[in-house]
Amino acid sequence: MIRFSNVDKWYDREHHVLKNINLKVNVGEVVVVCGPSGSGKSTLIRTINQLEPVERGEIWVDEVQVNNPRTNINRIREEVGFVFQHFNLYPHLSVLDNITLAPIKVKKLAPAVARERALELLNRVGLAHKRDAYPANLSGGQQQRVAIARGLAMQPKVMLFDEPTSALDPEMIGEVLQVMQDLAKSGMTMMVVTHEMGFAREVADRVIFLDHGEILEDTQPEWFFTRPQHERSRQFLRQVLAPMHG
Amino acid sequence: MDFTQVIQAFPSLGNGLLLTLELTVLAVIGGVIIGTALALARLSSIRVLSWLAGFYVNYFRSIPLLLVITWFYFIVPFMVGWVTGTNQPIGAFTSCLIAFMMFEAAYFCEIVRAGIQSISKGQVNAAYALGMTYPQAMRLVVLPLAFRKMTPLLLQQSIILFQDTSLVYAVGMMDFLNVARSQGDITGELHTFLLFAGLVYFVISFGASTLVKRLQKRLTV
Ligand SMILES: Nc1ncnc2c1ncn2[C@@H]1O[C@H](COP(=O)(O)OP(=O)(O)O)[C@@H](O)[C@H]1O
Ligand SMILES: [Mg+2]
Repeated sequence: MIRFSNVDKWYDREHHVLKNINLKVNVGEVVVVCGPSGSGKSTLIRTINQLEPVERGEIWVDEVQVNNPRTNINRIREEVGFVFQHFNLYPHLSVLDNITLAPIKVKKLAPAVARERALELLNRVGLAHKRDAYPANLSGGQQQRVAIARGLAMQPKVMLFDEPTSALDPEMIGEVLQVMQDLAKSGMTMMVVTHEMGFAREVADRVIFLDHGEILEDTQPEWFFTRPQHERSRQFLRQVLAPMHG
Repeated sequence: MDFTQVIQAFPSLGNGLLLTLELTVLAVIGGVIIGTALALARLSSIRVLSWLAGFYVNYFRSIPLLLVITWFYFIVPFMVGWVTGTNQPIGAFTSCLIAFMMFEAAYFCEIVRAGIQSISKGQVNAAYALGMTYPQAMRLVVLPLAFRKMTPLLLQQSIILFQDTSLVYAVGMMDFLNVARSQGDITGELHTFLLFAGLVYFVISFGASTLVKRLQKRLTV
């Protein structure tokens, strides 16, 4: 479904943020990406829908090479949902309009159909009663659930998440993770940047550990948590897991 | 002071006020449209386009409005004749309106540009991530958000424009101030008429600006 082969990226020509990335995400798989702050996790998943260009290598989504200048990137983006750390809902639109905007304007869906689908999705994320509310009047957890519904409304083949819970108050993290877990169970292909190791252990099929732009581990959660191969990953795990046992 | 003269002149004063308001409203609409196009050009990644728009803005912000009004009064009929290939006379109203639109567009451009730049990169990226093209992202997300933020500034600029329309006396148009002055001359009550005109300008401008402040509070909540 997603394939990176020999991908390199630099910021400002000198800062090498992604180093020879090779990875594959199969249909229906849930892959968690973790690593220290600044290791290039956001950059990595933003290259998939080309919010960040790459200088070398190939990135494929399905049978289409996304970093080919001849590819219509907007068609790819319709099929790749993206959930941001800071939700980025449209403050001037109601919850329902946030969700139906792109399906109507980009996918040219009939408004009635888009609306019906949006209501279904709102039900699924438990926010049907908030359909007429504006983002400013929702909690962070609710906003993020709406953002997930907004992504799903395009009926994507893949959903990408960039630290979807790190801007949330602790008591709201659970509700968002629950929605993501349900989504994973429904068979959605997902790539999730997160430090929620509980989610990785429970839901992920694979864990990728990124450090200084390099993939150091790409393995099953069990192996990652019990037998990390690199000193850097052991150190990282000690740091993120410490508070839970402390 | 004889205010009965003012009351008797109400019909012609009314006509003058109507012209002033008409000019203001149309110039604001045209100015905002041209200004938005200029702002998009200024922010464009096409160098020539952004340079041309920048030059336009800097040029019109560096010359007096009175100059633009008189200059356009002579040049617009010629230009329109050249474009349409006919030789029909163009009224002073049209040439003044075009002068105001083009002059104010420079100021509106800077307001719109600041508004567009104030929209977070995250919101723009969210639009792109959903498959929107640059024009769609602009039209559906960035501009509506930017205009929301800019409305108070745009209205403030429009109030200044309302006062500046009095400069059309230079090409002999009978706007509100010019009517008041000529009626004052005719009746020998110039002071009374000017006092009254000042009062009307004050009430409209101050009233509008108070409304803007209230709107500003509502929009920032
Ligand atoms: N737009 C940018 N321009 C220049 N450097 C950037 C930009 N975005 C990120 N970086 C740098 O690239 C590195 C990786 O960033 P990022 O992908 O955001 O890491 P992570 O998400 O793992 O915290 C960091 O050192 C960051 O400072
Ligand atoms: Mg990040």
